Amino acid sequence: MKYSNILKITGIIAMVLVIFAGIGCMSDTGESTTEDNQGTDSQQQDDVVLKVFHAGSLTIPFKELEQMYEKRNPNVDVRREAGGSVATVRKVTETGKQADVVGVADYSLVPNMMMPEYTNWYSAFAKNQMVIAYTEDSKYSDEINKDNWYDILRRSDVTFGLSNPNDDPCGYRSQMVTQIAEIYYNDSQVYDDLMASNTAMDTTSNDGTYTVNVPKSENINPNSDKIMMRSMETELSSALEMGEIDYFYIYRSVAVQHGFEFVELPSEIDLSSVKHEDMYSKVKVKRGNGDLSKGKPIVYGVTIPDTVNQKEHAVGFIKLIHSKDGQQVLENNGQPPIVPASTNNINNVPKKLREYF
Amino acid sequence: MPRIKTRLNGLGQINPMLVIFFLSLSILLFFVFITLSNMIVQQIVSDFSGLIEAVRDSSVLEAIFLSLYSGFLATLISFILGVPTAYLLARKDFIGKRIIESILDIPVVVPHTVAGIALLTIFGANGLIGDPLESIVQFRDALAGTVVAMLFVSAPYLTNSAREGFQSVDPRLENAARSLGAPLWKAFLFVTFPLASRHLLTGSIMCWARAISEFGAVIMLAYYPMVGPTLIYERFTSMGLSESRPIAVLLILVTLTIFVILRMISSGWRRYDRD
Repeated sequence: MKYSNILKITGIIAMVLVIFAGIGCMSDTGESTTEDNQGTDSQQQDDVVLKVFHAGSLTIPFKELEQMYEKRNPNVDVRREAGGSVATVRKVTETGKQADVVGVADYSLVPNMMMPEYTNWYSAFAKNQMVIAYTEDSKYSDEINKDNWYDILRRSDVTFGLSNPNDDPCGYRSQMVTQIAEIYYNDSQVYDDLMASNTAMDTTSNDGTYTVNVPKSENINPNSDKIMMRSMETELSSALEMGEIDYFYIYRSVAVQHGFEFVELPSEIDLSSVKHEDMYSKVKVKRGNGDLSKGKPIVYGVTIPDTVNQKEHAVGFIKLIHSKDGQQVLENNGQPPIVPASTNNINNVPKKLREYF
Repeated sequence: MPRIKTRLNGLGQINPMLVIFFLSLSILLFFVFITLSNMIVQQIVSDFSGLIEAVRDSSVLEAIFLSLYSGFLATLISFILGVPTAYLLARKDFIGKRIIESILDIPVVVPHTVAGIALLTIFGANGLIGDPLESIVQFRDALAGTVVAMLFVSAPYLTNSAREGFQSVDPRLENAARSLGAPLWKAFLFVTFPLASRHLLTGSIMCWARAISEFGAVIMLAYYPMVGPTLIYERFTSMGLSESRPIAVLLILVTLTIFVILRMISSGWRRYDRD
């Protein structure tokens, strides 16, 4: 009886704590909002909660930035929520969840999904590139390089991971990389062998441009002997660590942050370089909901949605992202900052941020 | 006047404690009811065609059926393993019994994504169980994986309910049967088991319900084939609320119907309790 009682009591205590913590936070935020307006002394300014929703691949740099920001502003509690970029935007636009800052792995999601109702500006602040990540336990890891990676992935005993193109920019970018590889390596079977024959996805070509057709998620039917598909790219990291898969398509930043080995792909196909934008744009991905994404360099975007409660700190947090310290954090995590950052409309950018564009 | 008052007090009609308790009941009921009914009513009123569309969508029906079916398999396995376990825990005392009980209860308190990661580590292609079984059965992204994930999180509900059931049966009834010459298995099968049957059914319903509603552990181990909750999540992330809500409503309606029927059956079995 003792142990189960302890479990039960712990459960009850935890519940009570959660409830009181919840009530506490609610009243705290309420208070601090009014205090901000009145500008009262800092003693009462406890626990301003700043809600940051962001792409899974921004988790580590944003965690470091969170710590930095909280250290400099002890009264602020930055709460991050990671998810697929599309899902992250939907949390704000469809479920009406309150967010102060939104960071996505494809800046174009902001103009496409959030403008004009939820914001009227974005900052494109950092870059990334696609790589093929692996560990030394992966099959043929001693052979793989940037010229033969697609042949290694083709081998029947090799398994690889993909994130869902319908949910996650990393997912549709994996499709783009594989399709552009056909052009670059002059091998017309790359996409067929890796994707089309193992899933219900396929490509149609027209005048040297290609469209990858992704069915609705439940109909993608990946061959589970060959491909492991998950909603978010970060879920695949643990699969690689466990040896569940040999390779996966991922951002360089995630590979760096997890300490994975990775194949650096030619810049013509890895979606990293503005110089090769023409090459990238030859491939489009049509997602299950009909949306079309065109191949282009990977650029992260951040904005302040209209749901903002803590405008001042939202601006402060974005300022930190763009500052020298923020740039250093991004650099260390394999997501080189874009300096100066670019935006759709400098006049809509909060004044305190304009110096970074 | 005083007489009436005493009578009412005796019946507990206006006891202040009960009034407060009744208030708690109302709040709880309101909380659960308003949350679910609001979604269902909104769907029916504002987008009935969406619901019809979901009913006609074969991938939606497949996912819901798969939820019910894999939940049923998980419950069946829970039953086969959980009933004997529960009997032992209810009737026998042995060293470490309390610890064993607590261990069996752990899945109830573990966050389900954590359970999913743990399961993937064990049942994955290189896992402790997944590796030796690789040539026979695959767990990752397969029905077996869905069932295993559901089993892990839902089995405690059946085991606990069955244990309570067996504890509620007077051991003397079993002893009487045995003293009349019935072997232990006969006493169990024809005396204890039927007397605990309502608890077993209730436990099975809870177990099945928990299995169907599981998402976190399932999505880690088996993203495919997609069960109802995974499909709802998928539709939400890729297409938004308007595409995912009809499926959620449909899943609620289907499971609710089944559970109401099962509850009615189980309350019909109440007479066994009195014997």
